[in-house]
Amino acid sequence: MNTVSSWRLLPFAVLIIFTAPLVIVLSSLFGNYSDNWSHLYEFVLLDYINSSLILVIGVAVLVFIIGTVTAWTVTNYNFIGKNIFEWALILPLSIPPYILAYTFTGLFDPYGDANNLIRYLFDLDDDFVFFPNVRSMYGAIIVFAFTLYPYVYLVSRSALINQSKSMKEASRLLGLNEVQVFYKLGLPIIRPAVIAGVMLVIMETLSDFGAVDHFAIETFTTGIFRTWYGLYDLQTAMQLASLLLIIIGVFYLIEKITRGGSIYTSNNSNFSPNLVDNLQGFKGLIAFLICFIPIFIGFIIPIVELSLWAYEVNLGFFNDRFISNSMNTLSLSLGTGIICAGLALLINFSVRFKPNKLVEKLSSLLSLGYAVPGLILAVGMVQLMVYLDTFLFSNVDIVLTGSIFGLMIAYVIKTYALANSSLESGYQRVSNSIDESSRLLGISGWRMLINVHSPLMKTALLTSVLLVMSDVVKELPATLILRPFNFETLAVSTYTYASEERMLQAAAPAIAIVIIGLIPIIFLSKMIRSSRPN
Amino acid sequence: MDNLILEIKDLNHSYGKSDLTIKDLNLNISIGERVSILGPSGCGKSTLLRLIAGLEKPNNGEIIKKAEVMTSDKIFIPPEKRNVGLVVQEKALFPHLSVYANICFGIQRNKDKNKIVSDLLELLKIDSLKNKYPHEISGGEQQRVALARSLAPNPDLLMLDEPFSALDEELRKSLYKEVSNVFSDRNSSILLVTHDAYEAEVMTDKQLRMEKGNLI
Repeated sequence: MNTVSSWRLLPFAVLIIFTAPLVIVLSSLFGNYSDNWSHLYEFVLLDYINSSLILVIGVAVLVFIIGTVTAWTVTNYNFIGKNIFEWALILPLSIPPYILAYTFTGLFDPYGDANNLIRYLFDLDDDFVFFPNVRSMYGAIIVFAFTLYPYVYLVSRSALINQSKSMKEASRLLGLNEVQVFYKLGLPIIRPAVIAGVMLVIMETLSDFGAVDHFAIETFTTGIFRTWYGLYDLQTAMQLASLLLIIIGVFYLIEKITRGGSIYTSNNSNFSPNLVDNLQGFKGLIAFLICFIPIFIGFIIPIVELSLWAYEVNLGFFNDRFISNSMNTLSLSLGTGIICAGLALLINFSVRFKPNKLVEKLSSLLSLGYAVPGLILAVGMVQLMVYLDTFLFSNVDIVLTGSIFGLMIAYVIKTYALANSSLESGYQRVSNSIDESSRLLGISGWRMLINVHSPLMKTALLTSVLLVMSDVVKELPATLILRPFNFETLAVSTYTYASEERMLQAAAPAIAIVIIGLIPIIFLSKMIRSSRPN
Repeated sequence: MDNLILEIKDLNHSYGKSDLTIKDLNLNISIGERVSILGPSGCGKSTLLRLIAGLEKPNNGEIIKKAEVMTSDKIFIPPEKRNVGLVVQEKALFPHLSVYANICFGIQRNKDKNKIVSDLLELLKIDSLKNKYPHEISGGEQQRVALARSLAPNPDLLMLDEPFSALDEELRKSLYKEVSNVFSDRNSSILLVTHDAYEAEVMTDKQLRMEKGNLI
């Protein structure tokens, strides 16, 4: 086999590994159906569908409103704090929904801090409850909406800043007021981008396990987890996972199709940046509140509550368990980051070194793993490890099942897209003439990769490692299912403490997760600041 | 024809399904000969150099270097194995390497590399720049470095694609003479493409014209 053909084979080989767990999950639909499946089908499947549907619709409506209105406000008006809100509106992305769910519970439970405060302030009876029960479908909708709305905000803002002021001026001259301009002009223009953003939110909502489990809402993910962890019925868990995978596949396709037409931008030569109005007084206050409230609920509240909890346990959280879990998390996330970045470098290099339409298409398919819920990947990975153990180590013992190996592969599949996007944009900045010069000087293949591309991609590689790390740190369901016995990460320990109602102890690992989750947000904020018109 | 460094026979090329950019082109260059091809933008000059370098594949025809077939219907030698140099207007210096390391890049396994690089630094009057990085030197200096880098592996044929067109006129004219002397000293075989008749006359022995993908 010559060098060129091995470069071309690489994306094929990686694609086989990446799709293996999904193929295994989907193939379960053609296998035997156990009594557990009959039970699920008869008694709970409809509940899963109903509650997933209500959750998804509620979250979609809320993120649509919050995301578009905040994007419209910061793009079209000048008001106090606008420059901060532009990037601060994405801060809630650093809070995983399950952490917001835990803090909401601690705050709004009948004897949570918020209700205690109200009783104290107004000298009310101990059984008086002001805030309604947050462990409900409504609570879950609020939690998802206020952590995930930045997806819609980001796409809406980026679509809106590409609009020319002449369109807005024309609509004002035609008699539309501010609000009418928003829903008659602004929304239709950014509709494809918004739909794509909402689809992403729906996929994230359907993929979540931690928040819905904490709020005891029966969805597909809680069903899959209990079928595997409670009933130890992997086959039925995979069959349930297949249904969820198909549903997510539909939303993924809608997202892809709508994103394809998401650019209704002005491409005429008269383009001039959007008109920005100054808002003062009451209008300025309204604009300020529109942007401040989502950040307050989605970021400030959880940060303050977690800090208070951490303060209450003093430095007690800084114990051996916390250190050991932090080290586990760090080594796992760093390992995954390095593997993903290295793999993305190799794949992007192979696509560039030997351009081929099929290879390019295959490479783009490798990023699909990001849309697959961690829980589905985990279930498929368990079965894959069992197969591999039977095939490779039948005479020895269980080697791969329940090992770090399966967990790392699942992480790599899930987060490869992040590393790839960073490397792809890094490669776009390197001229092809650099490659041509290298080849004409007799340096190609591995030597070109090591001597030319790797040094030039240093920043992109570092960025991709950090992005992957911040995502791995947050990943809960895959870690819960695939981790080795007695192996805990920060996410697992947060989940364990919270499920035991030990919120104070959950604070330290949760804060650590949020701090690491801020890394990609800092990158995104920089991009947002640099994307300001003028 | 033992003294031929390059022989092109009936070469045709098009980008995708568009019109031919090179049409039935034939060209011979002898060892040590310096040839220039003059022509307007878009006539196929740069494409011809890329075909010779192996950076593009022709529809049909043959490219033979030192009696060895580089390109034909059945054979295609990749660029890294052709031992030809190409200097382009963009220079394409490696931004992460110093001037010295850039020139050394193609001869890393040559045990005389230090001497080769020192000689080239001196020849092209850039020895004071050897520890600098591409972004720290001027456009003219960058072009000298690019030239030195291409000369270092001692290519059988050095091709230049409008190498000085991004430089100002005064600097360009001074470089013509200097570089021309370098080529004479080394007895290099040169193929230069340009739209500047003066550049072609000063730097080469033989001038050819190209129009619509063929030499006339």
